[in-house]
Amino acid sequence: MKQTRKEKILIVDDSELNRAILADMLGEEYDIVEAENGLEAVAILQRMGPELSLVLLDIVMPEMDGFGVLDTMNQNRWIDDIPVIMISAESGSSHIERAYELGVTDFIARPFDALIVHRRVVNTILLYAKQKKLVGMVADQIYEKERQGNLMIDILSHIVEFRNGESGLHVLHVRTLTELLLRRLSQKTDRYRLTPGEISIITTASALHDIGKIAIDEHILNKPGRLTSEEFAVMKTHTTVGADMLENLPIHQHDPLVNVAYQICRWHHERYDGRGYPDGLEGDAIPISAQVVALADVYDALTSQRVYKPPFSHEEAVQMILDGQCGTFNPLLLECLQENAETIRAGLAADSQAQRDQREMRNVAQEMHRHEELAASERTLQLLEHERMKYSFFAAMTQEIQFEYTASPAMVTLSAWGAEKLGLGETVMDPLRSGGVLALIDQEWIQGLSNALHSTCPDQPVVTYDCPLNLGGERRWFRIVARATWSADEPARYTGAIGKAIDIHDSRMKLHALEQMASHDTLTGLLNHAYAKKRILERIESRPTASYALAIFDLDHFKSANDTYGHTFGDHVLIHVAEKLRQSIRGGDIAARVGGDEFLIFLEHKGDVEPVVSRIFESLCGTYEDFTISVSMGVAPTALVGCDYDTLFHAADQALYTVKRGGRGQYRFYDESMRQMLSAISPIDSGEEADTAPADQKGDRPI
Amino acid sequence: MTLQECYAAMGGNYEEVLGRLRSDRLIQKFVLKFVDDGSYQLLLDSMASNNYEEAFRAAHTIKGVCQNLGLTRLLRSSSQLSEALRHGYTPEADGLTEEVTRDYQEAVAAIRAFQASLGT
Repeated sequence: MKQTRKEKILIVDDSELNRAILADMLGEEYDIVEAENGLEAVAILQRMGPELSLVLLDIVMPEMDGFGVLDTMNQNRWIDDIPVIMISAESGSSHIERAYELGVTDFIARPFDALIVHRRVVNTILLYAKQKKLVGMVADQIYEKERQGNLMIDILSHIVEFRNGESGLHVLHVRTLTELLLRRLSQKTDRYRLTPGEISIITTASALHDIGKIAIDEHILNKPGRLTSEEFAVMKTHTTVGADMLENLPIHQHDPLVNVAYQICRWHHERYDGRGYPDGLEGDAIPISAQVVALADVYDALTSQRVYKPPFSHEEAVQMILDGQCGTFNPLLLECLQENAETIRAGLAADSQAQRDQREMRNVAQEMHRHEELAASERTLQLLEHERMKYSFFAAMTQEIQFEYTASPAMVTLSAWGAEKLGLGETVMDPLRSGGVLALIDQEWIQGLSNALHSTCPDQPVVTYDCPLNLGGERRWFRIVARATWSADEPARYTGAIGKAIDIHDSRMKLHALEQMASHDTLTGLLNHAYAKKRILERIESRPTASYALAIFDLDHFKSANDTYGHTFGDHVLIHVAEKLRQSIRGGDIAARVGGDEFLIFLEHKGDVEPVVSRIFESLCGTYEDFTISVSMGVAPTALVGCDYDTLFHAADQALYTVKRGGRGQYRFYDESMRQMLSAISPIDSGEEADTAPADQKGDRPI
Repeated sequence: MTLQECYAAMGGNYEEVLGRLRSDRLIQKFVLKFVDDGSYQLLLDSMASNNYEEAFRAAHTIKGVCQNLGLTRLLRSSSQLSEALRHGYTPEADGLTEEVTRDYQEAVAAIRAFQASLGT
């Protein structure tokens, strides 16, 4: 046999010297991969899986010992395909026993003998290669045998039907329906633990449901009219007779197919409400195999022509079943019937032997899929290795935190650069509970990420998730872009994720600062007018039916403060007023500096708004050093002027103007009499531009 | 100094090792490597910091290496020490650590002498 590639052997031992001795003994024939503790070994197994031909495993090691590695290999069923030879100086029989129980193939005791080590390794690898080939051959034979078995059952059940005067299609239909219903049921619930193997057995056995009819008198069996109660009593015995025939089989008593066929024969006329025959079983006391066949049997009887009735349409039949005219059934099964309606209507007509064989093939393929490594050819492995090399090359070139997460075993593998950056090992077991990980990222954040990944679906598996990481004592924001991986089977299972984490701290902070600058007044820290308007519009839009009021106020004689004490003092007065304003408004209110010495307040209110306005007004008045703060305020309620922002602003402005003209130091609500008033601030259509004028130029204008 | 003389000085069993590893070249290669093995230092550090679990693993590793290299004398003391630490600290461990230290230093001295005589 031409050796195109060397077999790979993983040596796991915490002593480098011991690994070197083993590697030397195995010489040039093998590719050696080394791990210095159990954790590294698991990471390599996860990564290389079926490429490895053998593991040589020490017991006593730091991080994770040899038994830990074996446990993990068992949980993931790797032990089925990768042989393990235990190396140890431990000669205690309890150790050896435990190791064998966990599936090791052989033991090599220290001190190593070159000849023995070499021979054991060669033998084990050969044995496994042979075994893999045999598994494949056996699977082929089983498939062939099953095909022949089905043929025999078809012939047998056809004989029953032939006597019954039926077309021969009934058995075929029941079988197809049974399979469809079972598949749907296994997707819907785990209650019945239906494996593909069991579905296959029940489907096959369904063909035998009426074999008991072979013992029923032909006159009763084929009587066109209604059966008398005596005749019906005889007819009913076909259930128990069929079951007895199976029970008394001289051989194959304990074969699963025979057991299932027994259930189906005996109980396919039971009813979910307990009123069926022969045993009056109720609910799930009736085996699921019999429940499904019963439903399939009734459906096909309804839609087929019989000596005593014409065929019903699919819709009629389903409706009759749902209405309970033909017995009572498991509600879950009725859901399956309805959900599969299209497939059934299309499928029954067209179902042919060829299609059935195809389905059967698919089952076998699924079984084989569990041993997919059998099919992994040389070329596939080479391609895989190439991809891996490509990946690790690019991963090493980009300075990124890249990670791969597998749900089982729960484990994160980090790129070398990423591991160093985060101060973690390249492999972290059980990351959601690892101390190192939790020091890095808070519990709720990592839980959030996990939830986000779990709630993806195979079609949209990518998640973008911003979260803070504690890096070297600093809290920095990272963006995690990850793709959840889903298994190929139905329904798809969440198997883990791949992704990377990008440091977005600086750009996020910059953006935050820009947002702050764009939305706030730099002197007072209140919102600016443009941003306040945006917030007000959002508020009105989110709750358009609520009552609001907009108040505008300015400081009386502010210009004189500027003139007398200087602009710096004026600025301090504005900061003081802004602080008072902040303290006096409620949590949901919006306060802003419109410009100069003018401010606005936006309030939501339930009852009378005046007490609120009055309280705010009072709290704004007072003194700052020697300067007496007096305020003029105009208020416009939406109840009166509506919710249009410009109208609202204009009305408040007119009210303020009225106060100014009437002697200042008061607040007033807008009313219709002010309609013709001038504006205190500026014409509304240029209101926002006017805001940028310096404080001293606006001040308190003469009327 | 020949390899055989080196083994005699270390209290090792040269014939037994040769029977297993089957080549002088291999034995020489690994014996020279033995000096660089970090397990001994790990043992001393772990004992000093009362980390007996780690100390057990280190003693166990020394034992395994000695088995493979046929260093009989050091194998005996390290094996006893690893048993004394298997289930945590026992009073014998301190005396045995001294024994391991003595045997280890003898072995290293012999290997260094052998290395010097190779003229490399």
